Amino acid sequence: MAEIFKEAIKLLATFDKEIYEIVFLSMIVSFSSTFISTIIAVPLGILLGNIEFPFKRVVVRILYTTMSLPPVIVGLVVFLILSRKGPLGYLDLNFTPSAMIIAQTILIIPIIMGIVYNRTKEDGRNIHNIGKTLGASYFQRGILTIKELRIPIFIAIVSGYGRAVSEVGAIMIVGGNIKGHTRVMTTSIAMLKNMGNYSMAIAIGIVLLTISFIVNGILYHFQGE
Amino acid sequence: MDIFIENLTKEYENKRVLDIDTLNINQGRIIGIVGSNGAGKSTLIKILGGLEQPDSGSISYNGEKDFDKIYRDITIVFQQPYLLVSNVYNNIAYPLKVRKYKNSDIKNRVNTIMKDMGIDYLAKQKARTLSGGERQKVALARAIIFNPSLLLLDEPTANIDPDSMNTMEDTIKKFNKTNGSTIIIVTHNPEQAKRLCDEIIVMDKGKIKRKITNADFNQYNFRESI
Repeated sequence: MAEIFKEAIKLLATFDKEIYEIVFLSMIVSFSSTFISTIIAVPLGILLGNIEFPFKRVVVRILYTTMSLPPVIVGLVVFLILSRKGPLGYLDLNFTPSAMIIAQTILIIPIIMGIVYNRTKEDGRNIHNIGKTLGASYFQRGILTIKELRIPIFIAIVSGYGRAVSEVGAIMIVGGNIKGHTRVMTTSIAMLKNMGNYSMAIAIGIVLLTISFIVNGILYHFQGE
Repeated sequence: MDIFIENLTKEYENKRVLDIDTLNINQGRIIGIVGSNGAGKSTLIKILGGLEQPDSGSISYNGEKDFDKIYRDITIVFQQPYLLVSNVYNNIAYPLKVRKYKNSDIKNRVNTIMKDMGIDYLAKQKARTLSGGERQKVALARAIIFNPSLLLLDEPTANIDPDSMNTMEDTIKKFNKTNGSTIIIVTHNPEQAKRLCDEIIVMDKGKIKRKITNADFNQYNFRESI
């Protein structure tokens, strides 16, 4: 066991090219999906928390349900949609990082939107009202809401990123774990374990844990504010 | 700001909480609103401040009935004010920032008002960490810094210490005197109403029960209404 760890540390310390390529692709895919999800989910979460409309309760229940979507189901659906005979087959995206980004985006939009919605539901009306009574225009009230909810929004984004970077089921299906092309940290660890290459799996695991530790550290810091 | 209310009604869950035939408030007056819980005082303040819509009737502000045209001239201070997640200085400066004042003007005005109200030592403190009295003073400073023509106060001094209450009352009177703004204050404190107001409106079950002028204050038993 000690030998395996020693070898893992050595791989990291010697900047093993394959490991760092995998880490780099993981970061690109997860950052991209988190960025796209943020652009979509934050305004939608604020809007949902601030407005009333028929069947809002149903929409909220659907949102909460999708916060815990099974990744393999998302992966399968995205795969079928992007497959040659699927409605978006002409884009030829299956087994590319783009397909992985799409799958992760679908998985984390509800997480970010749900957290933002919950906080907007609590404070959104107060923020909107105080903005109005102090003379803010409708646009300025929107900006004020984002500023006032910046900590929960940040927590939502970090939570989404945490889910994205640790996800394996969906990206395995749509990405295919192709070496040098769609292989990321989580799919590598699953594959390396099956191959018995524990030292490399642990080396990647150390990087993944370090990232999770940093993400959770940031979350903890802001939750304590 | 002159205010004229006509046939104003509001219902919550089929229960009428506000029913005012006519009410005329002249510019520069300090009007107290008293009444028991559920009398419709806060609902009236929220409707006057544009935070709620009446079911029927109209309000004219200096002859203008379109609230969107005059909302920047009206403000409200609540019993539990919402303070922005920032320091005291930024809270008080906010109304000036949204009105695109120059930074140097903002600095001067904010520093002056904080000094006048004795809260200049709080400038850099996070607003969410303030005591009840300090919060109310910051909320009042933030409300009057842009010289609104109509200042609506919904029990702004409830549950605060006597020193803070005195500072608040002095500031309200001074603001009214120097700016000529109309002030409407909801209060459960008859002594405060007597100290501050030119006129008191007694509300009961959403209706205006009585209007009392300053000269008649001492002859009226407020305890029956509050």
